[in-house]
Amino acid sequence: MRETIRAVLGLTPRPVAIPPEPPSPGLRDPDEPIISFRDVHLAFDRPILQGVSFDLAPGTTKVILGGSGSGKTTILRLILGLLKPEGGSIRVDGADVGHLGEEDMRPVRLKIGMVFQEGALFDSLTVGENVGYRLVEDGNVSEAEIEARVREMLGFVGLETFYGRMPSELSGGQRRRVAFARALVARPQIMLYDEPTTGLDPITCRTITDLIVKVRDLDGVTSILVTHQLRDAFNVARTFMARENGEFTPKAVEDLSMLEGTEFMMLRQGVVEFKGTPHELQTSEDPYIKEFLS
Amino acid sequence: MASRTQLLILSLGRRFSQQVKESVLALQDYVVLTARGLAALVTPPNYRRELVTQMDSIGVQSLSIVVLTGMFTGMVLALQSAASLDAFGARPYVGRLVCISMVRELGPVLTALMVTGRVGSGMAAELGSMVVTQQIDALRVLGSDPVRKLVAPRLGAALIMVPLLTVISDTVGIFGGSLISIFNLKLSWEFYWRSVGNAMVINDLLMGFLKPLVFGLILSSVGCYMGLNTTGGTQGVGLSTTRSVVVASVTILSSDFFITKVLLILFPVV
Repeated sequence: MRETIRAVLGLTPRPVAIPPEPPSPGLRDPDEPIISFRDVHLAFDRPILQGVSFDLAPGTTKVILGGSGSGKTTILRLILGLLKPEGGSIRVDGADVGHLGEEDMRPVRLKIGMVFQEGALFDSLTVGENVGYRLVEDGNVSEAEIEARVREMLGFVGLETFYGRMPSELSGGQRRRVAFARALVARPQIMLYDEPTTGLDPITCRTITDLIVKVRDLDGVTSILVTHQLRDAFNVARTFMARENGEFTPKAVEDLSMLEGTEFMMLRQGVVEFKGTPHELQTSEDPYIKEFLS
Repeated sequence: MASRTQLLILSLGRRFSQQVKESVLALQDYVVLTARGLAALVTPPNYRRELVTQMDSIGVQSLSIVVLTGMFTGMVLALQSAASLDAFGARPYVGRLVCISMVRELGPVLTALMVTGRVGSGMAAELGSMVVTQQIDALRVLGSDPVRKLVAPRLGAALIMVPLLTVISDTVGIFGGSLISIFNLKLSWEFYWRSVGNAMVINDLLMGFLKPLVFGLILSSVGCYMGLNTTGGTQGVGLSTTRSVVVASVTILSSDFFITKVLLILFPVV
């Protein structure tokens, strides 16, 4: 009920089943996954996640599919420490985020960029101020550098002329692209996308998925894409950036069995129903998956 | 086997205990939020720009309604008190009565209620909208503490501006009373203001300054709490806004009684 205020105040219940580990300094063995879920449980009025386990290697992409209320967004909120699990462990770049307080979560969050479902832009700030927010909060970056970085990021998402506009003047697709720029401005190691294409037209969806691919392939950023849009999920999996005449352009692989580096995971009522490659997903004989894909 | 009546009583008991538990938890959250907000006001980092913005929103933009309320309250008070005092041949005491009523009671309470309606509801609506559009989550993800960034500046601005607005309201109210006394009740300007000056003692000023401080804290903390506690989309924002006005108004009126009672015990009127 009082989820937001209790989370803001750090009054969310902590796991009782597992004794808390001391806050980790955030050092990770290079061979370890950058994100690791182990038997994670969470329930509010009903079970949300039931024994979810998965790993994500650095530089790879995980696409999380599932119907509404299956727990997809909850996974992202747990990674960011916006929610705490009731059982199990969650490690992000070596830090046990399930047991870190709000203050200790800050260095972990600095490594993560998040694109919220509707953008979640600050209404009272201009596009430029929204994108540069994290750098301003950091306090160690000069104003000139902030402006240069913000303009660079807006150029990356194709909105360089929108610097002084207010969020209310933007379309849905433009808001997502600004949110994209805001998430990328601090050059994160991990990008989380929460339904970034929901409610957008097919052309804008393509623009967004191309941006996801660009960040993945050109910057080597580890990504988690949460979506229920199968077309966009497969677009991200089969597209790669190719260099043509000195410029990078998106190209698509037609044969899904050739794909590497992108893993699909499907949730059903808080339980992992499927984990595997895009090809394995498409050829699965599981009746639920078949119905979901049809 | 339990009868239907016993089952009904059991179910009602369970529901009641659940409600009590919920209320105690809500009170705990409210106290923690207010304490954290006040602590954030006096510890770095501070969001000074945000504080100035809120001071403008709470203070400057509320000035017109506070002046109007104060003026008409003072005028009507002069009219009403003259009608009663005439029965005892005490019309010259109008200034004294207007002054004491405005400074001790009506100025602080009416100012706080007007600011609650205009600003407290706005705080709940603004923060509630930020909750439902995930802006609070975004703030946390981008490294900000929502209590420091959003709650503390609102508490600070209300603590500074509500007492100032009350002083303005008191002054304008007493001035409004003087207009009625001079032009309607045919009292002299000097007599009215001398009566006002003689009426005012240090206890009145203490009461007139302490109350708006407490009321400012109540209206801003309730607005922030209700806003951050919003659930259920845009409908929830509307509900939080209404709740914040109702809860803050009732709390202001009830705390007014207790503050008055305590201050009258500590500093009795001679």
